Amino acid sequence: MAKLDAVKDYPVYEKHPELIKTPTGKPVEEITMEAILKGEVTADDCKIAPETLELQAQIQESFGNPQVAANFRRAAEMTRIPDERILEIYNCMRPHVSTKEELLAIAEELEEKYDAKINAALVREAAEVYENRGMLKKF
Amino acid sequence: MKRSKRFEKLEQMPINKDGFSYEWEEVGLITMESRFDPKPSIKVENGVIVEMDGIKREDFDSLDKFIADYGIKVENAEKAMAMDSLEIARMLVDINVPREEITEICMSCTAAKLAEIVSHLNVVEMMMAQMKMRARKTPANQAHATNLDDNPVLIAADAAEEGARGFAEVETTCALARYAPFNAIALMIGGQAGRAGVLNQCSMEEATELELGMRGFTSYAETLSVYGTEQVLIDGGDTAYSKAFLASAYASRGIKIRYTSGTGSEVLMGDAEGKSALYLEIRCLMLTKACGVQGIQNGSINAIPLMAALPNGFRAITAENLIASMLNIEVAAGNDTAFTHSDFRRGAKLVMTMMPGTDYISSGYGGIPNLDNVFAGSNEDCDDYDDYYTLQRDMQVDGGLNPIKEETAIEVRNKAARAMQAVFEGLGLPEITDEEVEAATYAYCYKDMPARNKVEDMKAATEMMEKGTTVIDIIKILHEAGFEDVAENLMNQMKQRVIGDYLHTSAVFDENYNVISAVNDRNDYMGPGTGYRISEDRWNVLKEKFSALKPQEI
Repeated sequence: MAKLDAVKDYPVYEKHPELIKTPTGKPVEEITMEAILKGEVTADDCKIAPETLELQAQIQESFGNPQVAANFRRAAEMTRIPDERILEIYNCMRPHVSTKEELLAIAEELEEKYDAKINAALVREAAEVYENRGMLKKF
Repeated sequence: MKRSKRFEKLEQMPINKDGFSYEWEEVGLITMESRFDPKPSIKVENGVIVEMDGIKREDFDSLDKFIADYGIKVENAEKAMAMDSLEIARMLVDINVPREEITEICMSCTAAKLAEIVSHLNVVEMMMAQMKMRARKTPANQAHATNLDDNPVLIAADAAEEGARGFAEVETTCALARYAPFNAIALMIGGQAGRAGVLNQCSMEEATELELGMRGFTSYAETLSVYGTEQVLIDGGDTAYSKAFLASAYASRGIKIRYTSGTGSEVLMGDAEGKSALYLEIRCLMLTKACGVQGIQNGSINAIPLMAALPNGFRAITAENLIASMLNIEVAAGNDTAFTHSDFRRGAKLVMTMMPGTDYISSGYGGIPNLDNVFAGSNEDCDDYDDYYTLQRDMQVDGGLNPIKEETAIEVRNKAARAMQAVFEGLGLPEITDEEVEAATYAYCYKDMPARNKVEDMKAATEMMEKGTTVIDIIKILHEAGFEDVAENLMNQMKQRVIGDYLHTSAVFDENYNVISAVNDRNDYMGPGTGYRISEDRWNVLKEKFSALKPQEI
């Protein structure tokens, strides 16, 4: 399929409702009050799917913001990481919190466990930069 | 000396209760155009920036590196940097040059180049440029809803009134951090009781704020602070890399965010590297760009008492809002901190964003009395509504708000308070009494509310988080308690998270949850007859003054 275009294809849900599904594979129309009351729709259904973030990245790309598109692509990978682990990794990336080895281990985990290659590269780059700039954990 | 009676009177005027200072250029205590600011330069080798504003790549700190690698469109950088800054400044106010042509140039410029471009503009030219450069065609506004007691019933009522008055976004925070979950849900329920489509945020420490978003208790986040020097960014507990990761974490949960920065924050935090406030703020904007974050809250924010003490403060603040727009970044434009005793002066500050229009004219109009504002006060508050409406009416300018009748305010406040009562009962939280509902409906400030047991409330808020309560639980309770429309609005907000159309630049919702952003509501200003124009329907709303004479009827 051709990449989405900011002028023709946005808002994506209005122009292409069939393209957007919940991470559990439901179409958006299935999120109804009735389904919520019956417990058929849960908080897990009300999340964005990685495929949707890719579509939104394409919109930003053709809107002239490649950096926002890159952010959405990192985010698409992160949909696979549980809430708590995301918060922990974020804290590990703060200055003077982790050793280089700890950051490299996180990069490996991101790559191996969550197939998050772009994020792994970001953490590896951070490990390198933190080492050069004295931003690693101080003993 | 025998005193002049006029000078004695002048000394007593509110303006002379404000603090003023001269510059100290060497430490960076200067608004813009410092002799010590770097001069624009760029060198690109094999697609990599090897020199930026006089610094060689091997001497880059972590912030320089991040900006050079991710924040500048490198393909056109040498060409854009070779252009005459005065020429670019003239393009900003030339009605024949479209916005996109300028953003393309600016996204390839360094911080020193952007500083040089705006240094050619006076404030009126900056305002003209802002009118053309803001990302979303239709302007909007944001409100604060807080109170000194963290009373959640009052927050809900205030948010509802703000929604009814037309604010696109509402923001809360806490006097006591453990109240955060209650304040967040109060703001969310109140906002949707006031008007469908209002976006809501709870400003807290980074990790808490993210967790509230993950539960569905907030629909956007803004308090992700960035700073323009490596050391101050570290002192703020972050690096460019951790901030970029955090930005993506929000997007991965379908939550819109913007960063926060502002002139003067670095020198206040004691490490401006001897550079001007505006130069460092431009670095914040470039970091925002580099992280792929769609928007910024800037306009000095908490540092405005300092910026306003220095010569050229308002001009520098207007410039920082403008440069964000020049980089195609959404701007929530400040005017959200009390900084002066003079009504004359705070009105003048406001009109600099209100007249041209920004994506959000204020990033925190206090829809509450100033004494209840747990942020550092605001430049405008609930006592100023009629002044604000009158300015819209006087100037035929759309400041994003609409006049409402007293009975409408009472109705939505009461509904929000009752919805909170139902939700607290449904979640097994400490009771909200009928007396509290009544008080919140008619209250001016926290003093009008019956006291709550704060220890019990905070304990219950913690337990609610531990139990894993989410917005889905709240939707069910509201529906079953007869607040079907509020439940429906919250469900639609959750749907938007699945869809992600509101993650884009300058996105807000109308009352039918249609997304309005810079992508589908592009600012196409090219002089008279173009860009945002007030429709007849909108003018009928804006010119409403309920107490005005109808001369035909006399």
